[in-house]
Amino acid sequence: MDRVNFRTQVLTRHLQTQIPTTDHLHTAPCLNYSPPELTEPSPNFDTKSLRKLLDGQNIEDIDYIFNLMIQSNLFCPRERGGKVFIAPDFNQSMEQQREMTMRRIDYLREKGAFDGWFEKKGYEGDLWRFALAESVSVFDHSLGIKLGVHFFLWGGAIRFMGTKRHHDKWYKPTETYEVKGCFAMTELGHGSNVRGIETITRYDASTGEFIINTPCESAQKYWIGGAANHATHTVVFSQLEINGVNQGVHAFIAQIRDGNGNICPNIRIADCGHKIGLNGVDNGRIWFDNLRIPRENLLNSVADVTPDGQYLSAIKDPDQRFAAFLAPLTSGRVTIAASAMNTTKVGLAIAIRYSLSRRAFSVRPNEPEVLLLDYPSHQRRLLPLLAKTYALSFASNHLKMIYVNRTPESIKTVHVVSSALKAVLTWHCMRTLQECREACGGQGLKTENHVGHLKSEYDVQLTFEGDNNVLMQQISKALLAEFLAAKKRNKPIKGLGLEHLNKPAPVIPTQLTSSTLRTSQFQTDIFRLRERDLLHRFVTEVSQRQAQGESKEHIFTVAYQIAEDLGRAFSDRLILQTYLDVEATVQAGALKSILGLMRSMYTTIVLEEDASFLRYGYLSTDNAAVVRKEVLKLCTELRPHALSLVSSFGIPDAFLAPIAFNWVDANAWSSV
Amino acid sequence: MAQTNQVLVTQRSNVRTIILNRPEQLNVFNLKMTCQLLELLQAYEEDPTVKLIIFKGEGRAFCAGGDIKAVVDDINKGSWKQGASLFSTGYKVHYLKATYTKTQVIILRGIAIGSGAALAIHGTFQVVTDNTVFALPEAALGSFPDAGSSYYLSRLPGFFGEYVGLTCVRLDGAEMLACGLASHYVPLEKLSSLEDALCEANTGDPKIINNIINNFSNKNPKLKEKSPYYRLKTINRCFSKRTVEEIISALKDADKNMDDWISMTIQTLKKALPTSLKISLRSIREGRLQGIGQCLIREYRIICTVLQGVFCRDFFEGYRALLVDKDKNPKWEPSKLEFVSKRMVDYYFVPLADKGWEDLKLPARSNLTSHAISKL
Repeated sequence: MDRVNFRTQVLTRHLQTQIPTTDHLHTAPCLNYSPPELTEPSPNFDTKSLRKLLDGQNIEDIDYIFNLMIQSNLFCPRERGGKVFIAPDFNQSMEQQREMTMRRIDYLREKGAFDGWFEKKGYEGDLWRFALAESVSVFDHSLGIKLGVHFFLWGGAIRFMGTKRHHDKWYKPTETYEVKGCFAMTELGHGSNVRGIETITRYDASTGEFIINTPCESAQKYWIGGAANHATHTVVFSQLEINGVNQGVHAFIAQIRDGNGNICPNIRIADCGHKIGLNGVDNGRIWFDNLRIPRENLLNSVADVTPDGQYLSAIKDPDQRFAAFLAPLTSGRVTIAASAMNTTKVGLAIAIRYSLSRRAFSVRPNEPEVLLLDYPSHQRRLLPLLAKTYALSFASNHLKMIYVNRTPESIKTVHVVSSALKAVLTWHCMRTLQECREACGGQGLKTENHVGHLKSEYDVQLTFEGDNNVLMQQISKALLAEFLAAKKRNKPIKGLGLEHLNKPAPVIPTQLTSSTLRTSQFQTDIFRLRERDLLHRFVTEVSQRQAQGESKEHIFTVAYQIAEDLGRAFSDRLILQTYLDVEATVQAGALKSILGLMRSMYTTIVLEEDASFLRYGYLSTDNAAVVRKEVLKLCTELRPHALSLVSSFGIPDAFLAPIAFNWVDANAWSSV
Repeated sequence: MAQTNQVLVTQRSNVRTIILNRPEQLNVFNLKMTCQLLELLQAYEEDPTVKLIIFKGEGRAFCAGGDIKAVVDDINKGSWKQGASLFSTGYKVHYLKATYTKTQVIILRGIAIGSGAALAIHGTFQVVTDNTVFALPEAALGSFPDAGSSYYLSRLPGFFGEYVGLTCVRLDGAEMLACGLASHYVPLEKLSSLEDALCEANTGDPKIINNIINNFSNKNPKLKEKSPYYRLKTINRCFSKRTVEEIISALKDADKNMDDWISMTIQTLKKALPTSLKISLRSIREGRLQGIGQCLIREYRIICTVLQGVFCRDFFEGYRALLVDKDKNPKWEPSKLEFVSKRMVDYYFVPLADKGWEDLKLPARSNLTSHAISKL
């Protein structure tokens, strides 16, 4: 009976709507949330102008998409601590998450967000498409990828690999989502090495059809986004065999589901299953059992097969043909790089805002505890990443510009720069998220606080559209080829920003000082010196080994260490160059000085962290000590601007997390 | 009863009731009243004996907005900056109310129009009743929804806020409750007992106050049959478009069945001042990504540009046509949406080039609630 009474008492108290006065609790000292806006110095530069440097002419396009998402219940608005946040419900099952992704796309389509996808021409059209894809990724990577597969991969393949007959037939239904496209390139047995895929297609002149076949298990198409649930059509990459001769990899259009979502005959589809992240995308596997498709379904921009079965191509060399064929698909890397930067911004905005309101430990008894970001160690963890994010974001814009202004002559530059930046930016994103996760302590572990969870959502970016390590080695190969070609022609080297190799090697002062470290002259010199020296070392190593009779392929396989160092040296020098270009467009004033400060932070942290400067002796140990000291100084100088710099990212509050704002209210008992 | 002219205050234990007392003018507020409100609010925030503030209007209106006549008189005397001071002070009142540390209950009897509506919305609880009327007629008047409207309109469900801001539609109490502009609906006859109950409770605890008001509330007031709130789906489809032109053409597309409501909406949009529509839409859209402070600063730039009258005299034309000559036939310039370029709209969103003009300076707030902060 006692237990029953006790239970009744508990329940009564629980059900009482009027909570007894708790004034004695209020008088006890308790932590209060104080918005950093109140205590931090207000920005001494114009945050809007800084955002304009990041988002360029597309600010309004981006904000419009943000607006559309914030205003719909499909994006799961949740109130926490007096603010509304939107984020996918990751507690849903994989199947539910996939359905939600599709419904969000339907919503955006209904609102006309994709209207004119294929019509908008020129660089403005390209930039608009990029802005759209990037802004949806700020909400959810799955949403961005699902959209990207349909529009950039499927739609891009139709646009760039196809010809007018494909454009006329597929543009309209693709824009309206009557046709849902996917992109079947990767196989179980072959990923980065596209030319090794095993799917095989032959031509039957008697019926005018191609026959696509999956000859073995390793030839099954794998990781095909959209294939498991929704896609109705796919671009299939396959070897093309004509009259017994293999003509290399070509792309075809195949229908895989009918209008009711039933899988077509001669197609088998299986799910890739639950993943560590990105579960809102339905990755699937496809097998083709001698599937017959009309001859017109060959995407014939570079090669065609006549009705009677003759193979025709303007480009005779299969290597060149393949390169020309795939070149336009670089847009994927451009969006990956840009999305990586947006995600990094989200992580940093959350972690830095939290570090400006969360305190830990007092220096003296009875004193208030110290703000996390007032610890030099915490500054050292976050502020260099902040400066680096600005530098890499400018580089991402540069990549967009060379992509949208591409010409047949610039294809190589686009390829090299996109490989370099895709790798460097995505690595930076993952590293930053990890640091932000740790910097937020336990709160970083909560899914609603994003910084931890985003790691698994974005991990895939290190791998898709080219494994980062493979890309890094490809850059070195390309640089080597450029160098040797110039030497052979006996002409100065041109392009890829390598012109500095024609000049005498820059001289680095033996005794570095704080002020030297901050001059753009020194920064440029030492980055160039490193690139130049590593390229020479690479050339020497390759030619020495060649002299010993080793094959080129073998040499590239074993000389990966220096190749990767060179890849990074090239990327860092390129990033610094684009940063200086951006800086030059800004008039002298507060904004220019903050940009200068961040540039010095960027270069100094590269000097501090990349072992190659000490390894190859570009920095003496004494100078390395000067660099190390300078990092601390730069952190102190950047600290007052931390809030303004993350505010200038322009990520709306709704896309950040409860710990970025009133985390006390967000966790109060009344909110349970 | 403490008599302070046009703003009355009654005091019952720890509760203060602020009454707008200019009934002949429908409680339209002038600079003096605004200053009084500001002082009262500042004083009560410091005063530990004040726990709860009740706002209401004397007579048949809650508040019909700012005293436009006084503003126009000032401007005609040659000083648009004098006219602007009503707005800068008013905006400070709204900012204070939106970020206030103490609980406020606003009783909305009768009409609440323009900045009068804003006075009601920024606060803890909005009690509407049988004869409440809410409207933002600025776009018809040659101005735009200001006083923090871009903050609260952009937070209504879907794109209802764009609809309300652009079409000057009138909402009744039931509609306000449905769309979230009000927190409670209390029938007229119960209002005075509600006030008594609030005074008796003598507390500032929002939970308790919420419960008290709930006891008097009609939880499900019936929406009128033709309420636009039933049209939320169409509103979302059309008013989510990027530009005013696209909104109108989406409405026309939706008008296949010759729907009265849609044709009326199109009519209203066509009659409204083109420049205003574009400014209003952009202001609400930007508001969605901003906090109340930034919204007010932006709106202050716009209103000053309007009052300055350099780019555009529509405000004065609207005033003439609707309030002076009452011919209801204003001549807008530019007269058509397509003549209003993006560059012209841009003008309203940048700081004024006028010498000595400054952005709105808002007081530092100790408890800047998190929903009031936003960044860009």
